[in-house]
Amino acid sequence: MSSTLRAVRALILLAGFQLLSLVLLGVLAAIDWAAVYAPSSVTTKVWLVSVVLAVPVVRGMFMLRLPDIEEPPGVPLTEEAEPRLWAMVRELAAAAGTRAPDTIILTAEVNASVMERPRLGGLLPGRRSLHLGLPLLTGLSEAQFRSVLAHEYGHYIGGDTRLGPIVARGRLQIRRTIAHFHEKADKKVAQERAEQEKKSARRVAKGKKAKEVDTTGAGATYRAMAKIYTWYGTFFLRASQSTARAEEFAADRSAARLAGRDATASALREIPVLSSAYDFYLESYATLGLDARTMPPHGAFFGGFGDLLTARELQLADMRAELPVQQLSPYDSHPPIGERVRAVEALPDDGRADDGRGSALGLFTDPRALAAALEPAVLAEELLGFRRAEDWPDVLRSGMTARLGELDTPLHRALAVYTKSAATLPALLQVIDEGHLWQLARRLPLSEEASAAQGRAFREFVRPSLEGILRTWVISELSKQGLLDWEFSWTQAATVVLPGGDPEAAGEALDAAVTAALADVPDTAPLRALLPPTPAETGTGTDIESV
Amino acid sequence: MTVLLWILGILALPVVAFGLYLGFVFVKTFIKHDPDAPDENAGAEAAAKLGLLPAGRLDLDRPGAADPAAEAVLQAVRRGDWEAGARFLAEAGRDWEERGRRVSILGHEAAKEDAWLLAWRAARPGDADAALVNAESMIYLAWEIRGSMQAKNTTREQFDGFHRVLAQAREACAEAQALGGDDPNPYVVEMPLAMGLGYSHKDFNDLWDQAVERAPHHLGAHQSALQYWCAKWRGSHELALSFAREAAAKGAPGQLLTLVLLEAHFEFEFAHKDLDEDEYYKRPELMKAVDAALLDLAAAAAEAGDPKARRLLPMRHMLAYMLYWQDRYEAAMEQFKLIDGHIGTAPWTYLAGKPRFAERYTAIRDFTAVRVLEAAEAHTATA
Repeated sequence: MSSTLRAVRALILLAGFQLLSLVLLGVLAAIDWAAVYAPSSVTTKVWLVSVVLAVPVVRGMFMLRLPDIEEPPGVPLTEEAEPRLWAMVRELAAAAGTRAPDTIILTAEVNASVMERPRLGGLLPGRRSLHLGLPLLTGLSEAQFRSVLAHEYGHYIGGDTRLGPIVARGRLQIRRTIAHFHEKADKKVAQERAEQEKKSARRVAKGKKAKEVDTTGAGATYRAMAKIYTWYGTFFLRASQSTARAEEFAADRSAARLAGRDATASALREIPVLSSAYDFYLESYATLGLDARTMPPHGAFFGGFGDLLTARELQLADMRAELPVQQLSPYDSHPPIGERVRAVEALPDDGRADDGRGSALGLFTDPRALAAALEPAVLAEELLGFRRAEDWPDVLRSGMTARLGELDTPLHRALAVYTKSAATLPALLQVIDEGHLWQLARRLPLSEEASAAQGRAFREFVRPSLEGILRTWVISELSKQGLLDWEFSWTQAATVVLPGGDPEAAGEALDAAVTAALADVPDTAPLRALLPPTPAETGTGTDIESV
Repeated sequence: MTVLLWILGILALPVVAFGLYLGFVFVKTFIKHDPDAPDENAGAEAAAKLGLLPAGRLDLDRPGAADPAAEAVLQAVRRGDWEAGARFLAEAGRDWEERGRRVSILGHEAAKEDAWLLAWRAARPGDADAALVNAESMIYLAWEIRGSMQAKNTTREQFDGFHRVLAQAREACAEAQALGGDDPNPYVVEMPLAMGLGYSHKDFNDLWDQAVERAPHHLGAHQSALQYWCAKWRGSHELALSFAREAAAKGAPGQLLTLVLLEAHFEFEFAHKDLDEDEYYKRPELMKAVDAALLDLAAAAAEAGDPKARRLLPMRHMLAYMLYWQDRYEAAMEQFKLIDGHIGTAPWTYLAGKPRFAERYTAIRDFTAVRVLEAAEAHTATA
């Protein structure tokens, strides 16, 4: 099939997506019409049934109207404020042979995308906006950034035919529709949100403003129709998939032409690395103090990512070297990234290896000010009201103290159930001394194998997790007494500094004490020696609830 | 209304049809007009005629009758009387194979609950016997944690626990070896560790040298080593067979080392699903190996004075299986008569999961019984 024929087929199928409801209604009408010739009692029944069936179809027609593309939260970048960025964006669009965007918005995603407000279901071109994620720009060189941008433009060119742009737009539209259905019908999302209510501060912090609860996805008819459309949509995507993948390669080639081969290949390698590094950064650094209602210093919430990338350059280099192995989905228009990298790297050397080595942030007038401006634009109000830490070690110290303060492990819950009183470390040590630890352990959440195990095997199943929890518990106890310090580092995990001189020896002493307390013949004396005397021990020793 | 009834009626048809089918199957099982049925019954009848037990009464856990002395000791240690366990092991004296068997019994118990073993070790620090039982129990414990499923059905948690306990077991073995003197058992006990932790061939040979230096003809040591050399663990089919041939050749009649060769051939057959047992076991080398094993067994039985002696049973189980495939039904039946009742051992346990391997066992045994009776009838007819 020639590429034009393929595009025409895609276009017909695309129209079918819009016409699907009409066809369904037509079928129902035809049945009604045929039923006229049946006995009258049958006719009325068929009509009744067809009305019932028609309702979801009609609803479905309305469902196809997507909500307007919302501009993601971010900072609009005007041409006056960022002349160099705009000049590059325009120059690249001209070179790619497509329209330059009408607006540029700085976002907090590890992503760059060109979006177009569709008209007539994607049949006509609309207003374009370019979304640039600050974390992405933080990690890319200028040339890599050009390559990413050129690739995005490539999607709006849509191959070699004149129909290409329409098909490309249509496919984007259908993908959005399916994603929209999934989002609504997927109850899991809602459940997860409920479970993670406590963590919502973090969720919000990751650049997602709280969504309003939308219940339209709950109805059965809605889901049934969503299924029909999703089925048709995936069918369409599959039918046009070979084109789509070819386009993806074409977009990569055009990116290589516009931004250089080496920059394109390295950008493809870089993006998955940046994406996981950014997740890690958010989890382990940026949101570390949220439990203590503490934010990093002004501008550092997004600005710190650059520090992390610089400090962990060596680790990142290893991650870049190995290409991610992806499960290939039949509906994904993107070929596996490994294949794309290999295709780009197979292109002849264009001698542009040294183009645009500087950071992509160099295109901006004042990157630090932008990082600070992004905070109020994308973070939840609540976070903005938090205390600002003095520096990163302050963030770490506050966060860890808060986390350890409200320690609630499965062992805490098991102990509370077992003793029917507050779960305290002295109470746990008492249970251990009385030789009832393993009965207590039966109340922990256990795997199927562990709960089936008896005697020694059971103890061996449970011991490793007990060791971890008990160690944390002791550290938490020390933290509450203000006996701990933390060492901040961009290159490695934060380390706890235990009291008592040599940190290594103190750590070993703690491990040994924990091991002794959980041994087959338990001895809690070393652990008690490490802990500061608590009221429960100095007092009568039995009145645990008053502690 | 009538239309509705019609619709309901049509919908009801498949339900009625399914109900009828169920009824038919139910009745059929009661009447049992299977043409094959008489044959099945004939097998069971023949077995019964020869005094063999029905499938439901087979013990699937042990290779032979329970050892009352051992049972009593286990009862005692469960009550906390560790000294009963200590005496039981000490009484084996320098009979290394018997000592190995007793260590295994105590080790199994200590892998389940070890309060008595901890008490023993606390009361007699540096006791070689307690250290040996401890090492053995850690190895059983590791496998208990791992479970008997294939790797893909074993969880991360199980593997982690398995490897953690195996590492501890290695230390326990070293302790037992340091205390063990000229007892080969601390080295034999370590052999499963070599499989689980993947010792290099060199390290395994060092271990092996220590064991055979102390007891050149220890059957348990040879059986464990064979497992290590098997392709499924750390060796290959060729290494396993050559090891087993050597072992069989060096054993004197009555030492039962010919069993090692039979086991190697059996492992080979078991690892090759496409082999036709009917052909494989009739190969000249296999016929020769079985003949040699029969002589070895006869010598051992004469020495033991009891045809059902415990140490003969593994050999009898293996021979029953192989003689059956060699169509030597009379000889096979001799073994079946001595092992029947307790089949919790190789080769039967390999054939299918528990308890299904009992079916395979009875099928093989009953087929043998029918052939034996036929032959007897033919004999009386000609006489």
